[in-house]
Amino acid sequence: MVVIEAPPAPPAVPAIELCAVSFHFDDGTPALADVSLHVAQGERVALVGPNGAGKSTLLLHLVGLLPETGRGHGEGDVILFGERLRPDTLHAARRHVGILFQDPDDQLFCATVGEDVAFGPQQLGLRGEALDERVAAALAKVGLADFEDRAPHRLSGGEKKRVALAGVLACEPRVLVFDEPTSGLDPRSRRQLIALVEGLAATCVIATHDLALVAEICARTLVLDAGRLVADGPTRALLRDDARMRAHGLETPRLDLPPRLLEDGEPGEPPPRTV
Amino acid sequence: MSGAHLLASYRHVDSGVRRAPAGLKLAATLLFVIALALVPAGHVAWNLPGLVLVVVLARVARIPLVAFVSRVAIAEPFVLGVAVVALFQAGGLPIFTAIVLKSTACVAAVQLLAHTTAFPEILSALARAGLPTSLIWTLALLHRYLFVLVDETRRMQRARAARTSRGGRIALWKGQASVVAVSFVRSLARAERIYAAMLARGWS
Repeated sequence: MVVIEAPPAPPAVPAIELCAVSFHFDDGTPALADVSLHVAQGERVALVGPNGAGKSTLLLHLVGLLPETGRGHGEGDVILFGERLRPDTLHAARRHVGILFQDPDDQLFCATVGEDVAFGPQQLGLRGEALDERVAAALAKVGLADFEDRAPHRLSGGEKKRVALAGVLACEPRVLVFDEPTSGLDPRSRRQLIALVEGLAATCVIATHDLALVAEICARTLVLDAGRLVADGPTRALLRDDARMRAHGLETPRLDLPPRLLEDGEPGEPPPRTV
Repeated sequence: MSGAHLLASYRHVDSGVRRAPAGLKLAATLLFVIALALVPAGHVAWNLPGLVLVVVLARVARIPLVAFVSRVAIAEPFVLGVAVVALFQAGGLPIFTAIVLKSTACVAAVQLLAHTTAFPEILSALARAGLPTSLIWTLALLHRYLFVLVDETRRMQRARAARTSRGGRIALWKGQASVVAVSFVRSLARAERIYAAMLARGWS
């Protein structure tokens, strides 16, 4: 039997590369210090750390919103799919990266849900039927198929978040960046979001305090503290390292209820009543 | 004052006025305002039919009278503030009356339009009329974030009230002033975030 060996595939370019990225705001507050990292294509990575660690600042770098919007000064390079972000390549790069902001009210700026979801694809040049199809598909993906004519200010928090996600998905980005995707969501909406993210083929970077979410969907975790990347590795090993977690203001999630809570309840405590 | 009726919308109430095309209503409102402005100063009473027409249409559109009148009343201090200047000149009373009638009728006509037409429809009618895109975007953002701002201000007022056991009028006004100031600063910060979100989705 003749075995024809396929030529070795060229090593894929990383989706995201950060080379010694530092940033401080105009008032002198340092936000990122010498951060270097790689994220492979299709990888799903969590970004955790205490409040003020620089997570959101790092995410804004990935979309080229910092330092370009002129709110501070930065050094180092952000490289997306092998191309360094420069003022003249920004627009091309933003086609590849979508960001879901923490507060959906920042993101939903149009008068109706349909217009908002259409905003991104319109900027990419889509018009007419192709645009309508893209919008309908994105809304269907987040389970809000007939919400096109609704006004964003009349939606619940969970619905707003899903519309915001539809607006990002409609641009069909190769990298998706999430800032606190599960904050303010009820368990059902959170579960829907998790299922959605798990079904995405895109590279995902998820900044969150929801460590149970991290344990569930991200194989790799980056820990940021005071603007520095202090840990980068497999999620399970990191989450199990209690001492390290506490040192950076984090807490290993208790995925199981403590045995006391699983028992029948305190003696004399009435059982729950169905009303 | 609860203020609930000030933001309430009656656009879902079905009526002939509601179903009329947005462009037609927009053009009619504009013509109405121009026509009233052109009523000669000497014929104060000529302004009255205009006001009556708007009120009748508001009834046809089944807008609750209290809601309609209270929204129009918001503009009255400004109308009166301008009109009162006329009283300081000789024979100023007819001019004063004319200004009040004209302005009130115009404000009422715009209210009628707003109550019976969805804002996105007004915007698309304006776009078809050839208004510059940047102006339409500004109007759209203004409308969208008005609700966010009102919600945010309400939350701040509630939080302040929760921490205020008693206090006189001065304390209340001081509290209100800081709510206004903080709303302003927050709006600026939000505007920056909205702009970032627009850039992130390819705005140029």
